[in-house]
Amino acid sequence: MILYCLGIEGTAHSFGAGVVTSDGEVLSNEWDMLKPAQGGIHPREASRHHSELGPDIIREAVQKAEIDFQDIGLIAFSRGPGLGPCLRTTATIARTLALKLEVPLVDVNHCVAHIEIGCLESNFNDPVTVYVSGGNTQIIAFAGGRFRTFGETLDIAIGNMLDVLGRELGMGFPGGPIIEREAKKGGEYHTLPYSVKGMDLSYSGMLTAAKRLHLDGATIPDICYSVQETSFGMLAEIAERAIAHTKKNELLLTGGVARNNRLTEILSGVAERHEAEFHRVSPSLAGDQGAMIAWNGILQYNAGRVIKVEDSHVLPKWRTDDQDILWRSSG
Amino acid sequence: MKQILARGAESVIFKVKQWGSPYVLKWRQGKSYLLHDIDSQLRKSRTSRECKMLTVSRTLGVPTPAVYSVDLDRYTILMDFIPGTQLKELAGKISKSNLISLSRGFGQLIALLHDGNVVHGDPTTSNVIVDEEARLWIVDFGLSEMNATVEMKGVDLHLIHRALETTHWDLQEIMLDAVLEGYVDILGNSAKPILSRMKEIRERGRYH
Repeated sequence: MILYCLGIEGTAHSFGAGVVTSDGEVLSNEWDMLKPAQGGIHPREASRHHSELGPDIIREAVQKAEIDFQDIGLIAFSRGPGLGPCLRTTATIARTLALKLEVPLVDVNHCVAHIEIGCLESNFNDPVTVYVSGGNTQIIAFAGGRFRTFGETLDIAIGNMLDVLGRELGMGFPGGPIIEREAKKGGEYHTLPYSVKGMDLSYSGMLTAAKRLHLDGATIPDICYSVQETSFGMLAEIAERAIAHTKKNELLLTGGVARNNRLTEILSGVAERHEAEFHRVSPSLAGDQGAMIAWNGILQYNAGRVIKVEDSHVLPKWRTDDQDILWRSSG
Repeated sequence: MKQILARGAESVIFKVKQWGSPYVLKWRQGKSYLLHDIDSQLRKSRTSRECKMLTVSRTLGVPTPAVYSVDLDRYTILMDFIPGTQLKELAGKISKSNLISLSRGFGQLIALLHDGNVVHGDPTTSNVIVDEEARLWIVDFGLSEMNATVEMKGVDLHLIHRALETTHWDLQEIMLDAVLEGYVDILGNSAKPILSRMKEIRERGRYH
């Protein structure tokens, strides 16, 4: 019998709901992203956004999947990591639905869900994953029963760096896509701090230096070009280190920043060099959305892990490698 | 005669015969996917840095291969060949007590570097060679830096923690404890601010 899972995502500024079947078919995937008029994301405003729009987004996801609420056999929710107020709003919605519909509740790790939905789409078994978004910059691979973080940012996430720079350069939110467009017009490379430490990296120095370039009169296209080439080059280097180290032969790119074509080009070059397969998760499954939570919920449910409502407190600092991945055989 | 010993992410390590003895030739390959300016600048600076830091580290009491020649146009370094095994390969194959004593030795060598205000920059167990007499050698200084601050030393320790949790997950606690014990052996009380910085760094880069 086919199981329908409703997945609910709300770790940061996006709220999403999606329905996925136990066969891995994505029936619907609806979301809305809070776009602050100015400045960054305030956790309280984001959580208000989720509680105001959440119910309609969920209703829409169920309708688009062409099922009834009674058909839902499982509720999965993003338990962490993320912003506390957002996680709590999302978890409250998920718990209410699970109790009301009398179906099991599954707690999903947001970062793990990004990897698993990427594996579903690409048919990859065991990739090195480059997960890049506004809140996360991680290189992750499976080893010894868990997804291990081989490298990550030591300060700010790459998406955050791009957004803040975009704001500085007078662009709207999110800045990433505009920076990509401007970079195509640039061509003069300005040296920026290239900060790789082991398999970790740092972007705060680059942000400061790029702001200074702006003050010194460098053109916006050249700044964008230089920032992209340097920041993506750093990611490529640590991805390459992870591939060389783990000897895996698949490279997966996911997260909101995966939409960037130049990053995709650079990372496919890395894969080619190591004769690895490369896949960029498609835009609708790369950002924060509910389908990935639903699919991960199914994997986890089939492996026998559900959570009682009274135990389902959120985990804002839930590390990727804190969870035993029961549905994968430990390698 | 060139024999490929290892192919890493940024370099190829050859074993070469010269003057009747084995040597290592480390060559930093170009990367076509990187912007040429960035690529050549990185290869050049890391080659020259590695050369210098291999020598600086030896003066601090850390065994490193001696450098014989460097070619900044070809991005190569010719250095001693150290017969031995990477700590990474040994870790799962030796007794607990041997592993603890080697890990402790690793921590002592990192502390000697830090005591001289040098950070290694990539302190993984792949970059520790254990020779036939169970002596430890540290290699791969391309990301090494001088004039290190508490922050830089904290990052160096954080990287060891990271390498242990990803590569030696089933042994990470005993290895980390032994490394830090060795670290404190050398630095005593001055290790404290660095150890607490290490913990602080681990919590950054993620949501709060």
